[in-house]
This record gives sequence, C-alpha cells and structure tokens, in this order.
Amino acid sequence: MESSSVLDPAASPKRAPTERVALITGASRGLGYTLAEFLARQQWTLILTARHEKPLGAAAERLRAAGAMVTAVPGDVVRPRDRRAIAAAARRAGRLDLLVNNASELGPSPLPPLLEHPLPALRRVFEVNVLAPIALVRACLRLLRSSRGLVVNVTSDAARGGYPGWGGYGSSKAALELVSKTLANELRDSGVGVVAVDPGDLRTQMHQDAFPGQDISDRPLPDVTLPFWAWLEGQDPSRVSGQRFEAQGTVWEVPA
Amino acid sequence: MRLLVTTPAGNRHATFVELPRFLSAGDLLVANESATLAASLEAHGPAGTYTLDLSTRYADGLWVAEPRWDPAHPGPMPIQPGEEARVGDATVRYLAPYPGIPRLWFIRSDRPLEPILAEAGVPIHYGYVQKIWPLDAYQSLFSRVPGSAEMPSAARPITPRIQEALEAAGVRFTSVVLHSGVSSLEIETDSVEQQAVYPEPFQVSRSAAEMVNRTREEGHRVVAIGTTVVRALESAWTPDGLRPRQGFTRLFVHPGNPVRSVDGLLTGFHDPVTSHLAMLAALIGLPRVMAAYREAIANGYRWHEFGDSHLILRK
Repeated sequence: MESSSVLDPAASPKRAPTERVALITGASRGLGYTLAEFLARQQWTLILTARHEKPLGAAAERLRAAGAMVTAVPGDVVRPRDRRAIAAAARRAGRLDLLVNNASELGPSPLPPLLEHPLPALRRVFEVNVLAPIALVRACLRLLRSSRGLVVNVTSDAARGGYPGWGGYGSSKAALELVSKTLANELRDSGVGVVAVDPGDLRTQMHQDAFPGQDISDRPLPDVTLPFWAWLEGQDPSRVSGQRFEAQGTVWEVPA
Repeated sequence: MRLLVTTPAGNRHATFVELPRFLSAGDLLVANESATLAASLEAHGPAGTYTLDLSTRYADGLWVAEPRWDPAHPGPMPIQPGEEARVGDATVRYLAPYPGIPRLWFIRSDRPLEPILAEAGVPIHYGYVQKIWPLDAYQSLFSRVPGSAEMPSAARPITPRIQEALEAAGVRFTSVVLHSGVSSLEIETDSVEQQAVYPEPFQVSRSAAEMVNRTREEGHRVVAIGTTVVRALESAWTPDGLRPRQGFTRLFVHPGNPVRSVDGLLTGFHDPVTSHLAMLAALIGLPRVMAAYREAIANGYRWHEFGDSHLILRK
C-alpha cells in the first residue's frame, strides 16, 4: 500500500481533545449548534458567536452543561469591532484548532431573481459570506499557524447550481469556495488547512427561509452531518487543505 | 466446504477446492487486505456490565461503536448523550447516536483504545456463534492491515494451496482495503433503499486500479472476493475506469445503483434484506439471486461467516 495514513487517522501526534479550541460562527442554532454540541461533548473549548445575544447565551449554557468551556461572543461577523472581540476571545483561549465560518446570509426571503435582488441586501450577502470569513482568518491567523489549525468555510451546492433565485447567495458561496482554495494555496507552507464543506440540504431555519411556507420536513436534521465532522476531526489539516467536501456525499476523499 | 456457482447458465454445485475450474487465465481476483480487530469489549456503566462492539475508527480515540446488553441481545440500550463507561483503564463517553441508526453511538475515549483491544478485546460475535474463536480464525490469507470490526469473511476458505492452484491456472490477484464495520444492523426497514448505511474507510491503490483496468481492457473478468471489495472498487469507479482513491465511503450498492467495476463476486450466504443481498441483486438482478438462494436452501448450504461459499459470475 502506498500510504496507510488514511487508515490510521491519528498517525500524527495530536493534542488531547480536552485541550482543543474551536471558533464557530452562527453557532446558536442549526448546523453551527449541532457541530458545537458534538465538540462540546468531546470537551473542546468553544468560542461561539451569533448575532442574537439571548439564543446564543442559551446555547452556550446548554453546551457548558455538556462539559465544554464556552465563551459566547454576541456580534455580527461583518462588524470589525465584533470581529476583534471574537478574535480576542480566541487569543485568551491560547490556541485555535478549528475555525468554522458557518454564519451565512441568505438574502431576502422569498429569494428574488438576481436582477431583482436589492443591491444593499446583495452587498450584505457578500459581506457575511465572503468578506467576513477572509477577515476572521486574518484576525486569527497567528493562532491558526501556531496550532496548525483547520479553517472550514461552509458552502452550498447553490455555489455550483445556477438555480433561479439562488444567484445572490450562490454567487457569494462560489466566491467563498475560490477564497478557500486560494487561501489553502497561499497558506500551504504555514501548516494551516482550509477546506470548503457543503453540508447538503438540511432542515434548518435558513433552509425554511429559502422555501417560505413550504414543508421541508423531508430534509434531514443537521445531525446527519455528524459522521462527516467526526471524519474531518481525524484528518491532518494540511493533507485535506484545498478540498471541497460534501458532508452528505458518497465519498470523503483524502488526496493521495 | 461447498461452493454454489451462479452463472447466466444457472446454478451448479461444487466444492470450494474446485474454484479454479470456474475461473479462466487472465481473470483477476481482488481481495480485501483488512484484518479483523478483537473489537468486542466489556464496558461498565450505569446500565451495569455490558458489551461494547467497536465498529469504525474516525480519529484517535473517536469511534463509532455498538453498545449491546450482551452478544446475543442487541440494544438500543438506555444510553444518554454524555454518559460515561469504563472500558479497561479508559473512560469512554457517549457523544451522540449515529444519525438514523440509534443502536450505534459516537464515542470518545480518554486514551487510545487499541492497547485495550489488544489486551482485553475478543472478536465480535453474535448469538448464532456457539463459542468465541481465537482472533486467527477471523483472518484470511490476505489480512494485513488491522481495522475491521468484523471479518471480511469471503476470503477465509482460500488456503495457500487453493491460491497456488488459482495462480497455476493463470488467475491473478490484487487487493484493496476496506475496514468493515459491525454487521448487526439488518432488517430494520422494509426496503433496501431505506437502509441507513454508515461509511467505512477504504483504499484503492494505484496498482490495484491499474490491474483492474487492464484486466477489463483485455476482456477478462474482475471478481471481487467479498462485498467489501465491491464497495471499495465501486467507490473508486469513474467513467474512465478505476482510479486510485482513499477515504471514507458511504456508497450503498443496490439495484438502483448498479455495479460497474466487477464481473463477479465470491461471497458467503447472507440473511434476506441485508445490504449484502442488495449488492448481489445489483450484480445479477433479484430473480437470479432468489433462484440461487432457493437452490442453496434446498441443498442445505450453511449460512453466515463460517458457512459455505457462493461464486456469482455475470459472464
């Protein structure tokens, strides 16, 4: 066999799980919360952010009960001041193994055709989905480098579909995917990995907003992605860097 | 040991040592190099002393596992997220049930479980096995890379002598890796399409991909030794043939998702409504699978991993 590393995910020494630190944006509900809870039960230290203070605080409380050290930083990832507060919380934790840019802006609900998309709303879509992830990586780069951490940018099949109505959100996610790939190349020698993850359709508030008034109960709950996150936990960030993964896809491939 | 041979011409009865008669020079047998772990452990938790069968390793200390009352009595057990158990000198914590398969759990151990497996583990076994065999009984001639919760059992009857006879007949060998998880999940839904299937680690090397592609270009047959091999090969299949590929595969081979990478399968006999049977149906269609199984039942073939063998050839 050419390499056994895929079958021996922990070939490189890792810190004990209790010492690992993750920063997750958009963590008060949906996919972000599901991932936070999975890491909390493994006793990761968590820095969580979301715009609304109350649900974020309640989420943080539940996760503390699950065994995690949790810092909740309410704020909007597009605001420089809020980002500084988020990055400062990570610095206080002393390391950063995982940065998950999960907070996303869908745009108006129902989704308008691209030519009718209000430009201020489109600007916000790009600020949240493209600019904020770049800015957060920049703000946390030193910690990510010293921890040889992994950046996960949450994307969507809308980035590739060209679906009518999804042009604003989709083009921002397409930009985010290119951002991920570019950062992966630019940070190649730093030990920091950058991947894009398409979680697939999920039964979340955002998905409901995309299909207002429709029954979306046939979509799986966000916990359908747990096997993927567990798998990703076992991967060497520099080995998978630059890849795009589908959490509900058929194969999670490690590049040769 | 008996061998049922199913071809487009029908079913024939043979013994396993006659296997070389049914293959031709140039045909390629693909084996699974995954070796079986002693993956069944004793756990002590709030529910008392019970069995914890490890299924798949995701990261150091992070596994999917199946807690059972005991080998003969499956769960689901009354386990809560966050609950802990002592396993050897490790503390394991239940993180979350596997989505869609409530009998399986993600667990996190505070130390590597491999040394505990080596010291205290036994091979996973169920009610139908009368005694626990030593781990060697769960390996084949090809077992090389430890990682399977349950024996990739199709290769077990291939002895060095049979391999020599096959090679003398011009049959070639290559291998892939697929670490098989627990197999205890059958018959939870009415239709195969609804079956939740969990991912397994696999690796198809460059040399294996090249041998498969060359064999098919030359018009010879590629025969998988075991359904695990079919899953690995299909996971590496592209319209241009196989390519080297490694990772975790969630591929579920069933009649709606036909088999393209192999022309035949050497396997055992499996319970109805298992994912194995779905794969057989994908290979030759359900009516021929059913006809073969009727033939096997009428003639007293033995089922399960220490049972008889079945060679299925599409051409």
